[in-house]
Amino acid sequence: MASPSNGGPHIDPMHHFELHPIMELHLFGIDFSITQAVVWIWIAAALLITVLTLVAKTLKHYPSGMQNFIEMIVEFLRNQLVNDVMGEKEGRTWFPFIATLFLFILTSSLLGLVPGSFTPTANINVTVALALVVFLAVQGVGVRKHGLVGYLKGFVPHGIPLWVLPLLLPIEFISQLAKPLSLAIRLFANMLVGHVVILVFLSMIILFKSFAVAVFPIAGVVVMSAFEIFVASIQAFIFAILTANYISDAIHQAH
Amino acid sequence: MLQYLSAAFAMGLAAFGAAISIGYLVGKTMEAMARQPEAAGQLRTTMLIAIAFVEALALYTLVVSLLLVLTK
Repeated sequence: MASPSNGGPHIDPMHHFELHPIMELHLFGIDFSITQAVVWIWIAAALLITVLTLVAKTLKHYPSGMQNFIEMIVEFLRNQLVNDVMGEKEGRTWFPFIATLFLFILTSSLLGLVPGSFTPTANINVTVALALVVFLAVQGVGVRKHGLVGYLKGFVPHGIPLWVLPLLLPIEFISQLAKPLSLAIRLFANMLVGHVVILVFLSMIILFKSFAVAVFPIAGVVVMSAFEIFVASIQAFIFAILTANYISDAIHQAH
Repeated sequence: MLQYLSAAFAMGLAAFGAAISIGYLVGKTMEAMARQPEAAGQLRTTMLIAIAFVEALALYTLVVSLLLVLTK
């Protein structure tokens, strides 16, 4: 990100995160081209499906090894993420959705740390797509549980005068839209910033034009990669638990 | 030129606000954990969720700053 006006090398880490079609594919006038994000989403999904089905096919009564690890994760998801937020009854219905969200986001983000790969969740299109799914799920469950009129009535408290409605309703609509959008931007910005910091550290080797100084940026990159693993796990957890909160709010409308 | 200045200033202000909020949050959580160590797991989970909310606000400013720096 050095400006070219000072005559130095033009460092631009952001071009790594742009999407370029690997295979053009246009259907019905919509651009379905295969880009790097699509390829790495496929890889993350294939990895998850393979590991989880292999473990599920050979379940032992006394778990050991990989089954133990997966059971630990699933139990953490079931207890902390779903049952504590939603209660047991709705938790059984929504556990697959929320667990899939968490595992998919975690795998995509961690795959980006492999050198030479692309982080799908560092792209705003992918995270907005996930947030759209969450938005449709939240509104859908609210409408199905309370009916369309009942759900809209639940936006405002009881017993308020009618003239207050034009003030309260737009605020409520905007907040219903803003919550999934904030999920998308939070995940996207965290993943993007983590990887950009790693790239900026590496670009310092080029900026200083010597390999002798390279040990400090490399040490910085090691530390930042470790921190990035931590941040990726936290962000996947936050996305899943906020989704569970929004779904639980739509089911048990407080007003 | 003004773009770069405003982007840096905005990001600095946002980081300042986020740092104070997160520091306050974590301090209160540590106090609560010291009073009742059995509740440490629940306290830690709630603290992480609140930290994510505060950090998201600083990240909105980061997105605006990046837009200012990278586009004409």
